[in-house]
Amino acid sequence: MKTLTRITIVLFIAYFASCTDVVDVEVQNGPERLVVEASIDWEKGTNGRVQTIRLRKSTPFFDEDNIIDVTGALVTVTNDSSGETYDFVDQNNGEYRTTSFEPVMGQSYSLRIEYNGEVYTAQETMTPVTDITDVFQDREDGFDEELLEVHIVFTDPETEGDNYLFKFQRQGDLLPDLEYAEDEFVNGNEIDWWYEIEDEEDIPPFEAGDVVDIEMYGISRAYYDYIKILIDQLGGVGIFETTPVSVKGNVINETNPDNYAFGYFRLTEVVRTSYIFVEDE
Amino acid sequence: MNKKKAVSPAIKTTVWLLWAYFLGCMLAMGQTSHTISGTITDKSNGETLFGASVFLTGTTIGGVTNEYGFYSITAPEGEYVLNISYMGFNDVNIKINLNQDIKRDVEIAEFSTELQEVVVTADEPERAILRKPEMSVVKMNVGTIKQTPVVLGEVDVLKSLQLLPGVTNNGEGTGGFHVRGGAQDQNLVLLDEAIIYNTSHMFGFFSVFNADAIKDVKLYKGGIPARFGGRVSSVLDIRQKDGNSKNFALTGGIGIISSRLTAEGPVFGDKGSFLVAGRRSYVDLILKAARENNSVTFYDLNLKTNYSINRNNKLFLSGYFGRDAFDFGGLFDNSYGNASGNLRWNHIFNDRLFSNLSAIASRYDYDLRFDQDEFEWVSSITNYNLKYDLKYYLNDTFSLDFGANGIYYDFDPGQVRPTAPTSPVNPLSLDQKRALESGLYINAEHKLTDKLTAQYGLRYSAFSRLGGQPITEYVNGQPVVYNADLGIYERGEAIGETDFAKSEAIETFGNFEPRVSLAYLLNEDSSIKAGFSRAAQYIHLLSNTSSVTPLDVWTPSGPFIKPQLSNQYALGYFRNFLDKEYSLEVEAYYKTVDNRIDYIDGSELIGQNTIETEILNGEMRAYGLELLLRKNEGDLTGWIAYTLSKSEQRTLGGSAGGPGINNGDWYNAFFDRTHDVSISGSYKWDDQWSFGANLVFQTGRPVTYPNGQYQYEDLSIASYAPRNSDRLPAYHRVDASVTFKPRKYQNKRFKGEWVLSVYNLYHRKNAASISFGQNLETGANEATRTAIFGIVPSLTYNFKF
Repeated sequence: MKTLTRITIVLFIAYFASCTDVVDVEVQNGPERLVVEASIDWEKGTNGRVQTIRLRKSTPFFDEDNIIDVTGALVTVTNDSSGETYDFVDQNNGEYRTTSFEPVMGQSYSLRIEYNGEVYTAQETMTPVTDITDVFQDREDGFDEELLEVHIVFTDPETEGDNYLFKFQRQGDLLPDLEYAEDEFVNGNEIDWWYEIEDEEDIPPFEAGDVVDIEMYGISRAYYDYIKILIDQLGGVGIFETTPVSVKGNVINETNPDNYAFGYFRLTEVVRTSYIFVEDE
Repeated sequence: MNKKKAVSPAIKTTVWLLWAYFLGCMLAMGQTSHTISGTITDKSNGETLFGASVFLTGTTIGGVTNEYGFYSITAPEGEYVLNISYMGFNDVNIKINLNQDIKRDVEIAEFSTELQEVVVTADEPERAILRKPEMSVVKMNVGTIKQTPVVLGEVDVLKSLQLLPGVTNNGEGTGGFHVRGGAQDQNLVLLDEAIIYNTSHMFGFFSVFNADAIKDVKLYKGGIPARFGGRVSSVLDIRQKDGNSKNFALTGGIGIISSRLTAEGPVFGDKGSFLVAGRRSYVDLILKAARENNSVTFYDLNLKTNYSINRNNKLFLSGYFGRDAFDFGGLFDNSYGNASGNLRWNHIFNDRLFSNLSAIASRYDYDLRFDQDEFEWVSSITNYNLKYDLKYYLNDTFSLDFGANGIYYDFDPGQVRPTAPTSPVNPLSLDQKRALESGLYINAEHKLTDKLTAQYGLRYSAFSRLGGQPITEYVNGQPVVYNADLGIYERGEAIGETDFAKSEAIETFGNFEPRVSLAYLLNEDSSIKAGFSRAAQYIHLLSNTSSVTPLDVWTPSGPFIKPQLSNQYALGYFRNFLDKEYSLEVEAYYKTVDNRIDYIDGSELIGQNTIETEILNGEMRAYGLELLLRKNEGDLTGWIAYTLSKSEQRTLGGSAGGPGINNGDWYNAFFDRTHDVSISGSYKWDDQWSFGANLVFQTGRPVTYPNGQYQYEDLSIASYAPRNSDRLPAYHRVDASVTFKPRKYQNKRFKGEWVLSVYNLYHRKNAASISFGQNLETGANEATRTAIFGIVPSLTYNFKF
């Protein structure tokens, strides 16, 4: 299924890959916005009590100094059924942390942020994820049959409407890779999901000894719609891809709606694993 | 289905009015007039000539031949000289005594075959036509097209048309074309009357039309005649050759990308002729030789044959079959193509009434096979068209076109089929859609005075979306809902489905489409023209990318998608000067289109069964000024074309609520080009050497760039500016070609030539796109330009035998 979601991209990039270069371009400067990375991720088998929310500011596109931490905000998350409120304490480095969060599967929570005299809110539901049943390496699949790829295997639950976010990062690499999936065409099936680093990229493909960290999240449909656009636009879009858009998340500015925040308030269950590539044959 | 009832009286009224009008005109006919009629053909190969001018010398009585070379002139009794002229051909004058109705077929000869001197047959097809109200029309003959320098030496009808004002592409290597700020799916592309849904090979590097099989190409940019319907922007009418009826001939060419061979000749004694043309690329073989995993190939097959039963009855059968195939390193295969066939019956009732009945079928389909996941994805659109057109040459001031047609469509938007029992993918079939589109038209060409000629007509089109599928119902009837809290458009909530029986119409539409134009002759050398046309379009190509792809799907109008309606106004000034060696055409236009589909942010069209949840209905507007100066005769021929234009679209929230797409503001269409300049020329040095060159300059394509970035999930995320509010750098290039016809290899039978062409002579890296992302090593944001063609030299050998 991954292939289907990726077809347009591959079809055309494979075709035009030959003639690209990096150029200087002038871009517009949009308004500065609050960036909310409120990812309440509950790792399977843990109590999920320690949770961190990051607040930053957006910057002009080509600014090299592109991390502006936001301090002095008031951040709370409330369980919408019990009314229990968890204060996220300012760590003075853009992080706000609690050690007493109580995650409940399927429970709706509300986020509230007070910053610069404006109130931002968001609401989201804790979403479960299935187990990874197998992790292995192979060369056969992937975009290149000669390159190593890592496979994870899991069984999609019988119920329709499961959505997934994957995060792959080879240890030592600067940037992670994000991928998404839905069960529309594969509901209830066993799914073999692979990840490969292609030869054309600026970093080398997988080789024996590489360690790749793998995360699989269960995500809500709304978050899927959000992260899908965001991921599709990563690395820019070409001529045969959808026009890029300014992605709006679920964080609303109650005081001044036009000054909405970037980012998202998500509540997910996550399974984490890693894989060490070995010599084959 | 109340709407259906409301429409039928309208149809009845129209039919009644048409008859009344027709009868009225019959009564107005003169009494002591006679008619001369017949067919004009090319002496060398028997091809009928479309658009040849037939006049009675010293009078203003005359006309041009129709698509089948037929003419009919009615004039008062008397002696006349019949003058026949056609660009690139010798004039023929015939004395006639018009004391009775006369049938006269005339063969005319090309300059080159009559005289020893080789005249470049690529003479401009026509000077500015002053007297006919027809405007906003571009006619190109294959000679001109073949003279134009092109990328990789592949002669290309569509690329040549783009050198004329008002016609642009959407960047190199992308398919299709845009006319007067219209979208690609707003062009009706006809190959021997059959609808071609995708005009591109290799995603748009080349077009599907093999120039060796084509007789002529006519593009209606506006003022679309009433006999055409179904698209709001333009009609591209391409006619295949009938085949040489005099003797057997082989034409061919060997190029870098592909080779082609055409065989034609007489058949059924002297009763008919045939043509078979094939073209195949061999990029796949080159890639294989280079041990490349990926493979790409395309081919075309054109067929045509005709048979004259007798003087008044002639049958034509034509077909086209073309396909592209891609193989991406065993990961997946993709193939797509058009197939069409047309059986026609020309019947001449009498010397004034010409008719043609066509039965046409055409189909476009694609499939994708995913080897690893063991499934395939197929999609298609098929249509059957029955069409009857008549032309009545009433008298020397009045002729009438009228007819009717009906098109039945089958849409298969997509099916997923597992190709092995072990496939992880479940079978799936999107709803199959069916529709019936019909049209009824009448159009008059009426010479009101010696100086003023009018063309006025009316088309009535109707469209029924047929049942046999369920239609989803949504809360509050809203397939798309504005979420005011988050400020985004979301998919509506389905509450059920209504099943429609096959015999039922889900929704029916009807539209009157008036088409009017006037020509006023200022003097012998200049005229002004004005026109208005309205057109309706009932099927839409779904594409949320800046360029359409072969995998985009057509969808019919229905409960959620309304027919597109366009109004176009045009005004023009036409002038021939310096003894008709030069001509000048200036036109201004203003065009609006209602009900243009636009896509909400994050729309997902692949495998989408409920397209209505991804779109809103918007509108377009376009206006511009076109200027074309041509040199028609001499050793140096060519033109300078300039277009100044604007094309925008806007989509309000409507029933979905909210401000609309892009905040409800007008934004530039992808194909908006402020300035577009093309200079194209060819020069004949002697009978061995000739040269061609193009210069193209265009304002950059509207695009969307980032206007900020933020950190999320350890990545730098770009936030984007309003839609299409930035532009790529300006596009420009120069091409040149040299044609060498070695004298010693030329004789009556065999003709050969070498064409060396260089595309993008100064190797400008024109940006096809600029994308923004993070450098994987440094993490810094950067802009990456993709350029398709740098300098591309190529060599082609063409022969005729």
